[in-house]
Amino acid sequence: MSVFSSGPCACGSGLRAVGCCQLDLNTLGPASGSRHLLPVVDEAIACHARGAVAEAERLCLEVLELAPGQGGALAVLYQIRKAQGAASAAEALVRRLVLIDPNNVWATQELALLLFSSGDLGEAEIHARNGVRIAPVDPQSHNLMGMILTEANRPQVGEFHYRRALELLGDRPAILLANLAWNLKNQGRIAEARALYEESVAHAPAVVQTLLGWARMEETDRDFARADALLDQAEALAPAHPSVLLHRAVVRGRTKDYAAALAILDRIEQHSAGEGLGTNELLEKGRLLDKIGRHDEAFAAFAAGKRKHVEQSGALYLADEAAQMTARLKAFFTSGRLRIVPRAKPIGSGPRAMFILGFPRSGTTMVEQMLSAHPQVSAGDELPLVHDVANMLPRMLNSPLAYPEALADLWMGDQHEGLDNLRDYYLQRIRQLGFMKPGATHFTDKMPLNEMHMGLIALIFPDAPLIHVLRHPLDVVLSVYSNHLTHGFYCSNALETIAQHYVLMLDLVEHYRREMTLKYLPVRYEDIVADQEKHLRRMLAFADLPFDARCLSFHENRRYARTASYAQVAEPLYDRSRFRYIPYLKHLAPVIPILEPAILRLGYSIHA
Amino acid sequence: MPSLSPMAPAPMPRAGDQAGPLAARLAAAAAREAAGDLEAAEDILSAVLMEAPDHPDALHQAALVSFARMRRREAVSRLERAIAAAPGTPLFHRNLCEIQRARGELDSALHHGRTAVALAPHDPGAAYNLCVVHSDRMEIEEAIRLARRAIALDPGMAGAHFELAEGLLLNGRFAEGWEEYEWRFRLPNVAPPLPQTDRPQWDGAPLPGGTVLLIADQGFGDSIQFCRYIPQVARRCARVVVACSIELQPIIRQQSGLAFCFDRWEQAPAFDAYCPLSGLPRVFGTDLPSVPAPVPYVAPPPAKVGPWAARLDGLVPRGMKRVGIVWAGRPTHGNDLNRSMPLEALTPLGEMEGVALISLQMGAAMAQVAHHYGPAPLMNLGAEIADFTDTMAILHLLDHVVAVDTSIVHLAGAMGRPVSVLLPFAPDWRWMRDRDDSPWYPTARLFRQPAPGDWAEPVRRVCAQVARLP
Repeated sequence: MSVFSSGPCACGSGLRAVGCCQLDLNTLGPASGSRHLLPVVDEAIACHARGAVAEAERLCLEVLELAPGQGGALAVLYQIRKAQGAASAAEALVRRLVLIDPNNVWATQELALLLFSSGDLGEAEIHARNGVRIAPVDPQSHNLMGMILTEANRPQVGEFHYRRALELLGDRPAILLANLAWNLKNQGRIAEARALYEESVAHAPAVVQTLLGWARMEETDRDFARADALLDQAEALAPAHPSVLLHRAVVRGRTKDYAAALAILDRIEQHSAGEGLGTNELLEKGRLLDKIGRHDEAFAAFAAGKRKHVEQSGALYLADEAAQMTARLKAFFTSGRLRIVPRAKPIGSGPRAMFILGFPRSGTTMVEQMLSAHPQVSAGDELPLVHDVANMLPRMLNSPLAYPEALADLWMGDQHEGLDNLRDYYLQRIRQLGFMKPGATHFTDKMPLNEMHMGLIALIFPDAPLIHVLRHPLDVVLSVYSNHLTHGFYCSNALETIAQHYVLMLDLVEHYRREMTLKYLPVRYEDIVADQEKHLRRMLAFADLPFDARCLSFHENRRYARTASYAQVAEPLYDRSRFRYIPYLKHLAPVIPILEPAILRLGYSIHA
Repeated sequence: MPSLSPMAPAPMPRAGDQAGPLAARLAAAAAREAAGDLEAAEDILSAVLMEAPDHPDALHQAALVSFARMRRREAVSRLERAIAAAPGTPLFHRNLCEIQRARGELDSALHHGRTAVALAPHDPGAAYNLCVVHSDRMEIEEAIRLARRAIALDPGMAGAHFELAEGLLLNGRFAEGWEEYEWRFRLPNVAPPLPQTDRPQWDGAPLPGGTVLLIADQGFGDSIQFCRYIPQVARRCARVVVACSIELQPIIRQQSGLAFCFDRWEQAPAFDAYCPLSGLPRVFGTDLPSVPAPVPYVAPPPAKVGPWAARLDGLVPRGMKRVGIVWAGRPTHGNDLNRSMPLEALTPLGEMEGVALISLQMGAAMAQVAHHYGPAPLMNLGAEIADFTDTMAILHLLDHVVAVDTSIVHLAGAMGRPVSVLLPFAPDWRWMRDRDDSPWYPTARLFRQPAPGDWAEPVRRVCAQVARLP
């Protein structure tokens, strides 16, 4: 027995650790063994129902001390801790409920929701899918899938589940309509989304979140007056609500009224009761200060925003994990080995993939907007599919090894067509996502940092264009630093780790280029800004597509890209996004030694 | 290739020397150097130079060690100090001549070479070193004169014969050139083309019932160039067998009249006479007007063409000119530093619109593709090329090839494919001089450096040629 086991559990449940997070579920007796405690449990439920929380809590702790797996007591205690904001205790308790009874629909849904709220979309999805499995006609199961998949950037799947929830309810609740509206906005279906927001607000006019979502949609659609009016309504309901104020500041920023935007952020700070601005507000403030040339203050705001984010999330760069993964990829993807790895066969018909690769904030969104303004090209946006394929590859190839080593199973007599299967899986998912517009022959996949998997992509799609968008590394690092991003092993929270990850990825790209025959085209962001048509023609020719002038006015492309870049791509190309690092050189000094070789290799220099 | 000469016999004691111990230490250093332990030799010599910083023999010996340790600048500085201390020593000038030549400092090499010849007019080594400098400077008449002088002083000096052969062949004086070229197997450190044999070298006389063994003796390029003679040999001999590496067999086997190829001496059949492939032009009395150029005499294997056509169609955007490129040869080639270029030197080609660069580069230089960020797409086919059958199929499918002097040029030429050859200022004899075509390869166009190291000018002209392609 551990020395800690008799003490209170670190999760804050109020239980002893041995009966909580250190509990061995195998030691639990059958539920019937604790039937004599049921009257106490019933009393706890009754107390909780009438608001006698302390008494309910005392009774639950008493029951769980004797029977740590008692479901009713766990459920009541979970609700109490959740209401108290004790997140880790609540999570531990609801997890235990699900473990003890995987068919507990309510607990499964609660857990999915809790994980969704904490941003763990991957695990949330696992439980949400279980929810659908065990309660396929429960609207809440589908609502959760809708929420999670919308946020996980698979809005088409999310839409399916929202609509299923509506169908099962036989009713149109305002919140669900607002959620579906947000989903459609993310698919760029603005008119449909607006109609749903109108319907939702007509039913329930006083929901701040709905008004906020709608205002953001109007802001995306560049109807700033309408966005302002909606924010007025929201502010009337919740004066000085920080999210409402932040979005007001964003709208001011987009109409280039930077002073007003900054004044709003100051107001948020004054109302924050000494807490100061949050991560998003600080980064927005930094970006606004940058626009008006107050660079030192802007950098200070970025630094404060990142600091706050690290304090709150604890998310630090997973340097070892990133280095190990790239080392394994380099060790596997060598020309000697790849000469005898079969490639997937070319695709006979159907949509053709184009991969837009690049470090986040390199201009990949802009390139996708340009290309997808072409009548033959649909934008896939940030498709998680390459990552999914890498994850499922060992299973598909029936290999005991992990990716990438599992590719060795392609040498087996029963797996040598394995890459064809992976390709078909990917393409089937593309069809399912349903984003191909009529007449389109190509689609883009611009998941940031897909260059990690460039080798795999080239095995599965040997003919697919790989367009690598490059931008001055110091601009990239600065821009990642001024935005909140989760890509890249959480590198984005410190300048040094962004630079480290940048170098790691460029090295990996160069390794793939040395070791493989790739249909690879590097394109510089700065060149596109300088001569858009020339480089657009290069990219279209590279993808065997005819030139189309519509791509030049891509900022009129009404498609909404979900990424942090959307506000920029909705504006014509502008020159000031080139070499933005120059006024920040002294702040960037710590990363210059890390980046300098890459800067020179890419043909850039460092201007003082 | 010339080599540096160490101090002939033992160093001469000089006035003021503590002759005994110092000479013994220099001898010890020489012994370490001869044993290949350059670091130990350097240690001894550095210690000697600490005590006697201006000792000319120590400086000279140390310079040769610096050179062997690839510290060429240090070698020059040590030799210059040795010459300052003992200006009249011909050997110092002779060796500095060669070191400066190897560094590409041809003016300085010329100066010291001439000084050495003036100081030691009867030293064949001095004449030879100066001959090589003139060769590098493309002063071929002077190189030929000095080679003849070195031979007159030392008739068995293989290097001078070889240098003479190069000069004569460059000038198109084939008959005498081929004779001198026979000295190539007597160069120092050159292995004989075949194991000890009591059979004679074939003189071209018909062998109606006999077997002649041909040997692919030089690099891949030479073998591709001279295998064109195999059908002629077959017309005079009943049976022709060729010893060649496994890589070359798909090319050699295409020549008519060949009985078989083998790549290990234990597989060699009995034969009546032998001849290196590179000896066949002499045997057949090839002269400038009679160079046989039966191109194409090499064709891609049909089974390889279909798959590579599909691969290239997938990789190269439609409507783009497919321009194959090779910028470096085998790094162990004696003249590789001059004949190879960095990929970067082809940048102007990579900036042409409508051009896709198809890299056929193999070996260590292939890694340079990763640093190409120019506008033209570059497809690194080297990563998928397994052997010459792949290369032949790809060459068949390209619109044009641009390459430095490597086996690719020979293969493209032998296949009758259009190829632009980028040549160093002082090229190999087979490219001759003052002409932009080759009697050996009618589809080749030659682009010569106007001065040593200047690739910009020929690359610019190649770009103009590529721009004119249909």
